[in-house]
Amino acid sequence: MSGEVLVEARGVVKSFPGVWEHLILDHINFDVRAGEVHALLGENGAGKTVLANILSGFYTLTSGQIYVRGKPVHFKSPFDAIKNGIGMVHQEFTLVPSLTVVENIALMLRKHNPLSYPLKEVRERTLELSERYGLKIEPDRLVEHLSLGEKQRVEILKVLYWEPDVLILDEPTSVLTIDEARELFKILRRMAEEGKGVVFITHRIEEIMAVADRVTVLRLGRKMGTFKVSEVGKDELLRLMIGEMEPVRYERGRSVEWGRVVLEVRDLHVLSDDGREAVKGVSFEIHEGEILGIAGVSGNGQRELAEAITGLRKASRGRIRLMGLDITNKPAGEIAKLGVRHIPEERRRMGVVEPMCLAENMIIREYKEKTFSTAGVIKSKVITEHSKRLVERFKILTPDIWDTEVRILSGGNIQRLILARELWKGPKLLVAFHPTYGLDLKAVTHTHQHFMELRQKGAAILLISEDLEEIFLLSDRIAVMLDGRIVGTLGAREATPEKIGHMMAGVGAS
Amino acid sequence: MRVWKRLLWALLGIAALAMVSYELSQAGVRPVKLVETGLLAMTPLALAAVGECINEKAGVINIGIEGIFLITAVVGVYWAEVFNSGLIGILMGGVFGGLIGAVLGVLSTYGKADQIIAGMGLNVMSLGLVQYLLMAIWAFPGIHIFPRELVVPRLSLPFTELRISPFTLIAVAAAVLATLMLGRTLLGLRIRAAGDKPEAVDVAGINVNHVRILASALGGFLAGVGGAFMPLGWFGGLVKEISAGRGFIALAAVVFAGLNPLLALIASFIFGYAEGVAFTIVVTPGVKEVIPFHFIQMIPYLLTIIILAIFVTFRRFPNALGKPYIRE
Repeated sequence: MSGEVLVEARGVVKSFPGVWEHLILDHINFDVRAGEVHALLGENGAGKTVLANILSGFYTLTSGQIYVRGKPVHFKSPFDAIKNGIGMVHQEFTLVPSLTVVENIALMLRKHNPLSYPLKEVRERTLELSERYGLKIEPDRLVEHLSLGEKQRVEILKVLYWEPDVLILDEPTSVLTIDEARELFKILRRMAEEGKGVVFITHRIEEIMAVADRVTVLRLGRKMGTFKVSEVGKDELLRLMIGEMEPVRYERGRSVEWGRVVLEVRDLHVLSDDGREAVKGVSFEIHEGEILGIAGVSGNGQRELAEAITGLRKASRGRIRLMGLDITNKPAGEIAKLGVRHIPEERRRMGVVEPMCLAENMIIREYKEKTFSTAGVIKSKVITEHSKRLVERFKILTPDIWDTEVRILSGGNIQRLILARELWKGPKLLVAFHPTYGLDLKAVTHTHQHFMELRQKGAAILLISEDLEEIFLLSDRIAVMLDGRIVGTLGAREATPEKIGHMMAGVGAS
Repeated sequence: MRVWKRLLWALLGIAALAMVSYELSQAGVRPVKLVETGLLAMTPLALAAVGECINEKAGVINIGIEGIFLITAVVGVYWAEVFNSGLIGILMGGVFGGLIGAVLGVLSTYGKADQIIAGMGLNVMSLGLVQYLLMAIWAFPGIHIFPRELVVPRLSLPFTELRISPFTLIAVAAAVLATLMLGRTLLGLRIRAAGDKPEAVDVAGINVNHVRILASALGGFLAGVGGAFMPLGWFGGLVKEISAGRGFIALAAVVFAGLNPLLALIASFIFGYAEGVAFTIVVTPGVKEVIPFHFIQMIPYLLTIIILAIFVTFRRFPNALGKPYIRE
């Protein structure tokens, strides 16, 4: 714990001029020592990711100074940071979708002759690293065909390839199952034992208690303090993170009567991008006022299932009915018109149009309707009002609604935008994929409240999540997906984390 | 769309051309002549198309190939006369093409320029520039005839009656080398990554802009060789609209190929051969009286439109194609 200070930030200030009212980072002091896991705790917009991006050379700082082993440094690019032994695993991955896993890692060979192709070495070293840290990968698959969890493992390997002294991980657990997260914590501890410094960004206090030595809390760009984890309580951390406000509680209320069947899926088969059968004969139904949770490690056909229901992907066999109406392989627009809404897995790629502004993104589903346009001309006044209302209601942090590209919003705020757009109209069926991935506690509670409200109003919700806690909290029934099949469905009362966990891992499935 | 599907379409095209060739041979045209003309017409298209595959993989669209063709044709002839060598002329065409490509690369990276507009600008500017250069250098409007010796001689291909230009071989070699470079070198990985996910190149400590400028310069170089080849390896003369839209045909070949250099070569051959067939029909007695001259001249362009219409939707663009990379 009292190891050498590897990296230190002193008085770091970051502002995006003219965009945000407060400083993104307001005179932050932060240091990482050899042999420790130092957690950065804070909500969305607290500045955790920005600080990490500054330490890893992605962003330049407005003022302040970074020291590596006591020496002042000026990072002009991520590589400057890497040369100084600082590697970062980003929340939004930096993997090339059209290349294979090994090719992506080979990209990191900067000093090699550009006309050489030492793929054999890279593969061997990758497999060695993957063995050493228990990061399972398939070296020759295309990255675009990997699930989020798999992509993260590749991303971590990519950074480990350089043997960094300091490893920064931005919200690494948000895409992992509980078991995977535990495995990751072991890996982080192992790295710390090797004398590396680990910076671990999260908004989950339990994880800090489980893995970190020290914790620094940020709130709205200000540092609330650095503590030894052994000397600080959960409640105090929570209070520092979200302020004096009590976290909102919501009524679980199981009193909703299920109504008619909203969604009926019969023997559905769907192919994945690389032509393999990803969904292999899935059947289920969801009623009015019911939340069906689909648990399972990502990459077991969940994405393909969600996309087939929302019309983004063709089903190769089987039937999908919405309120008795056959919607199998109908165009996505038509299905949406029938009241189906979708919170997609990859929010930046599928959830928003990044180069467009918030207002435009907000009406992207309904812009053709009379409310928002006449004869193809959009009514900007109405849209402004509409967007403002939703920004308010869903607490989206944005500099403005017409002039800023959605691209610059944080992941959490993009998710809020998507939630706002998909929920405001009160859909009949909501297909929600990792709906709270990367959101802070307040936003998660907020989202869950919206879900419960929808359920109360009689909507059906298909909740696909790797976050078991969320599944248990919300679902009326829980189905487990494994290798393209539903291996079991349990009512909320009979389901226990053990039972579901076993089913997810494919042992003792009922 | 997968490579083999594109290949199937290409085979279909070749089969159609083979049928036309058979008909023509019945009318007394020597097939060797057809292939020779086809290969000549293929060469500038293939060079430019292979180059364009490289720069588009890196994320830079160069729709200014037509402009590069026109400018480097003039520049090539100028230097050929200065050094009294067609070879040096074509090489200088390549150098100038590379320079133009590099400038376009700088504009579309550091300059954050819209690449479509930059390319359009290049095309439009070249129209005027070529006429100006013709006047400024040779003081004669619109056309320039240079000594016959400057035309790079053709080689006899062993075991055949074919006589082909060494630059045809260079075009084929370029397609093979480009495929190897893109698929089997670290540089190729960087180029592909720069076009698909520039952040990945950036975190590796490699300058995305440099990769893109290099790719753009390479693309420009090949287009420049193709441009100078037209007067110095093929026509033996220079006119102000010498490339006659071939720059756009090369772009169509790239779309057809889905950025695969070898497919781009095949597509260029099909377009080139179609042009050769059109040339031949125009002069073949018994056929030229039946089909109107202008209709035949139209064929390569019509083919371009049809191919673009079919393939533009099949194409998988690199994610960051045409977008400048901005880190923050």
